[in-house]
Amino acid sequence: MTKQPEQPESARPDASGVVTIGLPFDPGSEAETAFSRADLHFRGVDHASLSYEVRVYFNNASACAATPRVADQGYAGRIVVFGHGNCFGDPGHCDVPDDPPYDAPGAQQHPMAPKDRAITVTAALRRVLDGQGSGGLKTVTLVPVSKAPKRESRGPCAGLFKYEAVALQTYR
Amino acid sequence: MAIRQSVLGLSRDPRQLGLVRRAYRRFQSWRDDRGYQWFAQIHGFPLAMWCHHGTELFLPWHRAFLYYFELGLQSRLGPRLTVREPEVPAYADVGVPWWDWASDESHRDGLPMAFLQPMADGEPNPLHASRIAYAGDAETFSTGVWSNGLVASVRDRVPGAISDNAPPRTVRDTDEPVELPRQHTLDNLVLTRTTFEEFSNSLEAVHDDVHAWVGGSMSIVPTAAFDPVFWSHHAMIDRVWAMWQSSGVGEDPPAALLDTVLAPFPLTVRDTLRIRRLGYDYAVQASG
Repeated sequence: MTKQPEQPESARPDASGVVTIGLPFDPGSEAETAFSRADLHFRGVDHASLSYEVRVYFNNASACAATPRVADQGYAGRIVVFGHGNCFGDPGHCDVPDDPPYDAPGAQQHPMAPKDRAITVTAALRRVLDGQGSGGLKTVTLVPVSKAPKRESRGPCAGLFKYEAVALQTYR
Repeated sequence: MAIRQSVLGLSRDPRQLGLVRRAYRRFQSWRDDRGYQWFAQIHGFPLAMWCHHGTELFLPWHRAFLYYFELGLQSRLGPRLTVREPEVPAYADVGVPWWDWASDESHRDGLPMAFLQPMADGEPNPLHASRIAYAGDAETFSTGVWSNGLVASVRDRVPGAISDNAPPRTVRDTDEPVELPRQHTLDNLVLTRTTFEEFSNSLEAVHDDVHAWVGGSMSIVPTAAFDPVFWSHHAMIDRVWAMWQSSGVGEDPPAALLDTVLAPFPLTVRDTLRIRRLGYDYAVQASG
């Protein structure tokens, strides 16, 4: 089954680019808890700029780049996006057309077209759902961290992580 | 038939590692479309970027890329991707070594020593770094040459992606070894995938992680292929794909993709599906 944020339009990143979205997952629901695998799917992930990673935390709305990546903090995993370092062509070179003629002979996807990414979060979701006194999954917090070429420049960075939609997909 | 070896294993065999280094050194000295610079720029600067990321062409396109790169190492390439008898018979079976970043050694040491030594055999180590052909170079001719403006622009807009001073060269700034992808991830979250789309997406995600881990030139698409470690990273990615293909779980890409041409290479997706037909295989990894 696929679970999408109840109010995706309310998710706004803070000054560090951290965004928390409401993604309730009811531990009392047989339909929601009977899964063998759970993936968090990101659709339309931007990769035009620097490389970056996005750390995923469950039920930890205060997570930031300094938050330990451990189960106790709700850490569920991360995705890393290999970036292009911005556009070096003439104006328009890296603009992805809204309605590309991909059905034309020989047509290929624009190299800057956003891509999809998924992260398997089965164990982390199970921990949240099975925890003592669990109220289930409430929020998913996404913490972007730049992966700049120089190590000294890596860290919190607003504006790098852009995506179209996120959904939690479970498999029986 | 080239048998691609683990660079960790090669490091314990100085004679074989020396042969690979000599083949790279020769390849890097070629300035036309049979040389290293020409191959590196196919993936990025100066434009166009021919590479495919984020689509189901990711694995086939990079397999074709490595195939022709390896022919270049083997001194088998003529102009415009034509193939000929090896000019240097000793290099005829040289394979691109793979770097197993999920191994215990890599999680302890990070990059293998073969990539870290600035000098080898009394000469610059061709696996350590690569020059980038640019307009200010004293040499008067090289394919894929960067303009001085492009060099300055990359230094200004993406600090650390190439060396800070002329002449431009590749650089690295790695993360901690423990941050590299783990064998557990490959075994449980990649090799168990049952559709090509899922497998490709999950392996590409691991691939992205390693690019960012190496940092420097490897951390952005347009400069990545200039770094010699790029080729060993992609040999590892290709090896994992080959393992999945022969595992009984793997499947071919969707039929609609099989006749897609992997430009600029004169190969289709279908042509890339059997590695022994492409003249190479992977050594069985004894350890590490």
